Amino acid sequence: MTSSRAQHVVPAGVVLALAILVAWLSFTQEPADSFLFPRIISVFFVALAIWNFARAALGMAKVGGGIDMGTAGRIFPGLIIMSVTVFWAAKALGFYVACTLAFFLIFSLYDPAPHSQLGSWLRRIVVTVAFMAVIYALFAMLLQVQTPRGIFL
Amino acid sequence: MKTFASLFSLHSLAQIVVAWEGASGLEFLGYFGGVFEPIAFMLLIGGTIGGLILGATPGLSPTMAVALLIPFTFQLTPTQGLILLGAAYTSTVAGGAVSAILLKIPGAPANIATALDGNAMAVKGEGARALHLSFLSSGIGGVIGVLLLIFLTPVLAKWALAFGPSHLFWIAILGVTVIGSLDSKSFVKGLLSGCIGLWLSTIGYDDIQGAERFIFFDALEGGIHIIPALIGLFAIPQVMEMLAKGRNQTLIEQIDVPPHAFSDSAREIGKSGKALTIGTVIGSIVGLIPGVGGQIAGLVAYDQSRKMSKTPEKFGTGHAEGVIAAESANNAMVGPSLVPLLTLSIPGSPTAAVLLGGLLIHGIFPGSDIFTKHPEVVWTFINSMLLGQILMVVFGIATAAYAAKIARAPVPIMAAGVTVLAVFGAYSVQQSMGDVHIMFALGVGMYVLQKFGFSAAPLVLGLILGPLAGDYFVNGSMIAAAQDGPWVYFFTGALNIVLIMLVLASVAYSFWSNMLQGRSAPEQLKSEAAE
Amino acid sequence: MKHILTTALLSAAMLASPALAEGYPDRPIGVGVSYGAGGATDFQARIVTMTAGNEDALGQPMYIINKPGAGGRKGWNWFATEAEADGYMTSAYNVPHFIAQSIKGGVKYSVDSFEPIANWGADPAVVIVGKDSEFNSVGDMITFAKANPGKVTTSGAGLFVGHHIAALQIERACECKLAYIPTKGGGAAAMKAVIAGETMAGINNLSDAYRAAQAGNVKILGVADLERNAEFLPDVPTLKEAGLDVDNASVNFRGLMVPKGTPQDVIDKLAAAVPAMFQNKRVMGRMKAGGSPMKVMSREEVQKMWAARQESLKELLAGL
Repeated sequence: MTSSRAQHVVPAGVVLALAILVAWLSFTQEPADSFLFPRIISVFFVALAIWNFARAALGMAKVGGGIDMGTAGRIFPGLIIMSVTVFWAAKALGFYVACTLAFFLIFSLYDPAPHSQLGSWLRRIVVTVAFMAVIYALFAMLLQVQTPRGIFL
Repeated sequence: MKTFASLFSLHSLAQIVVAWEGASGLEFLGYFGGVFEPIAFMLLIGGTIGGLILGATPGLSPTMAVALLIPFTFQLTPTQGLILLGAAYTSTVAGGAVSAILLKIPGAPANIATALDGNAMAVKGEGARALHLSFLSSGIGGVIGVLLLIFLTPVLAKWALAFGPSHLFWIAILGVTVIGSLDSKSFVKGLLSGCIGLWLSTIGYDDIQGAERFIFFDALEGGIHIIPALIGLFAIPQVMEMLAKGRNQTLIEQIDVPPHAFSDSAREIGKSGKALTIGTVIGSIVGLIPGVGGQIAGLVAYDQSRKMSKTPEKFGTGHAEGVIAAESANNAMVGPSLVPLLTLSIPGSPTAAVLLGGLLIHGIFPGSDIFTKHPEVVWTFINSMLLGQILMVVFGIATAAYAAKIARAPVPIMAAGVTVLAVFGAYSVQQSMGDVHIMFALGVGMYVLQKFGFSAAPLVLGLILGPLAGDYFVNGSMIAAAQDGPWVYFFTGALNIVLIMLVLASVAYSFWSNMLQGRSAPEQLKSEAAE
Repeated sequence: MKHILTTALLSAAMLASPALAEGYPDRPIGVGVSYGAGGATDFQARIVTMTAGNEDALGQPMYIINKPGAGGRKGWNWFATEAEADGYMTSAYNVPHFIAQSIKGGVKYSVDSFEPIANWGADPAVVIVGKDSEFNSVGDMITFAKANPGKVTTSGAGLFVGHHIAALQIERACECKLAYIPTKGGGAAAMKAVIAGETMAGINNLSDAYRAAQAGNVKILGVADLERNAEFLPDVPTLKEAGLDVDNASVNFRGLMVPKGTPQDVIDKLAAAVPAMFQNKRVMGRMKAGGSPMKVMSREEVQKMWAARQESLKELLAGL
């Protein structure tokens, strides 16, 4: 079970590092009035993070199964699509274009239906268009939310 | 403090009696007719259905939904306008439960606790049951809340005023002490999640001084808005869990679930008196406290109901009691939250503030004399909330079976759909791309943390309570500095002492139950292995 | 192939870039509000923009985006740095708030970051006390404050907003010290602090105080303006009448503005149409019903008012 222990030590270490960073910033930045509350929080934050790290290092942390390589590999393609959509495409291409693409790509990548059949691709296109039509009706027509327009639409 | 004491005095007893016997007692019955006029009734139905849809839309909190409806009321008479707003307010709060249950996207902070068990039920195929229970308990809690508003307004108004900055500070601390025990399998990680949430809440400009805090990059400048944060923390990890199943395994889970009969749900509600009572009582009390309001009513009721349950370990796994307690609480808070608004013109919550606007544009100034000056408007408004609750239950139940199918959509469609909804929802709150980035980053971070035993509920509670505790502390300290100093201000007076005792009791309970859990740890490990 | 695509993308991008005022506006126009939904600014902004879609106004509706936080700094920072200067994003301004904040520093805007369009309202600050307070006049309060420096807790909506400016001016005029308490939750919370007796006094908006006084919850002692408010509070003296040298620097002016860099013809078009839109009969009626004092000012008048405030606030805040 040493791998499990290592799995827990790393995130516990990251959280501890974050806690120390927060505490350091809270106690060094001015004005003191504004940082009084963060200071109080950071004291508890660091104390708990040390406790948590100690438990992880001693192999006492058992809750949570961690992330194995297989899981990470399966999430990865979807996560890339989501990141590109959120951080670039939504603004550059416009919300509706970007989200249509994102929906279609995520659906297609994770759809168990065979990629070789025309039927499954047709279904993917129909579902995507139908879903985005609902989104358009709800946000653009009913609520009149002005989304970034990008190069199209 | 003195107001608190007087609550228990003869004087206030006399007031209760007066309230019962006086003109306001059953006066509201006389104004029911107004609600049934053709246009008014259409507005009531429209407001209820519209409210359910708006409430279920990710990113639209009840406050925003009601604000969006205000322009429509310009064209209406005051009474009609308020019927629309009253119906919409009650049903948006309940509508938020729909997306919480089906998509694990809480519509507003009020629905966080609903997402914990409600979504687990929906994933198991019990979506219709979860929706039935949620609407029924919303309706019951909501009606009781409105009845409190009708009968006890004069007494409750004093109660609402009794809470000053020091008391609100202690209430926020009381909420913080709940953190450790809320939905976490590990005590220390629960507290740590709460601390992360508290810290996240301090990011951005400090509300009172205006100083910059922890602004690592520009998107954080405005701080972390609670609604995009909710979407990210709950919906994105959910999507990633779905993706983690991979392409070939997404087929598996399609079990056919028989349709759930409404009569079963009704019977189940009948047997859930305890969860309903806890939810309704806590929701009504918390709803009254201006400035804390409905945000934490659901979570506190959920936590209490778990602590008092004989089977606390079932909470979080799709346990009906969790949904019932949370939903009865967040609708019970609606009625009482309007008490300070109607009697003192002080909006106790952001939504009440928007409703105040709805009253003002028609030249109606709330105040102690509103019940005598504009009885037809006030009572019709209150009646519309009462009827709105009932209509909401009817419409909610009628559509539950169809709505529940959404939660059973094929996994890849669900993953893609929730992603798109999360992006739109996060954006539409403030039309800000930065919010979408924050939403996504928090979500991915939360997924990783969850995999190592941290949980989203305490983190979100920290995020909500951080600004309350911090700002009331600063506020109280400033007043204290001009009076007898912080010690006297924060630690003396009956209400302060009662609240401090509650805080201590809550902390003691958390440690005690943590020790008990420690003893039964082997069992817990087994259940995790099964997971 | 690639070239064709790039050209197509480029031309599409050019089509989407800000058009001239010819067709402006051809889609709804946003109004950023730096305070939360339900606040006085939000409420008034929703009323005064409700007729924007009429053909005789702008012909396109206006929609509100709330960006509350840090006394308005968050919304105006966003507006100064991120909002597109194409005329499709406007913002409500609150003077003296944003000017005072920019003088105090730590924000990304100043008077030069924005172009005013028109002013719709002017809400003076008033001094209030709870209904059972011993203070019956500004004089009573000042006498007490002189005897007990720093003891008169006075609530207001935040730091470097109109209420705070009024408190600073009172302190300077009476040569005494108050304890100004900026409350979380804006004017409504500051009002609650006074009604509930958490603070001894408060400074609040005339419109909100008028309603609270009507309901018998507070007493209004004085108005921080050059003359009395004849419409709502004809009997309440100005602070000047009460012997304090306080002018109208704290009056909360609300209006519409666009970011610097917005095409001049768009600004001209807005500046011509918006004041008339504010003066629409229905708008005026709703504003009056809500107890919100209106004061419609043209772009030129607002420019002068901003410049004057910039000067007087610089001087007032210099000592801080």
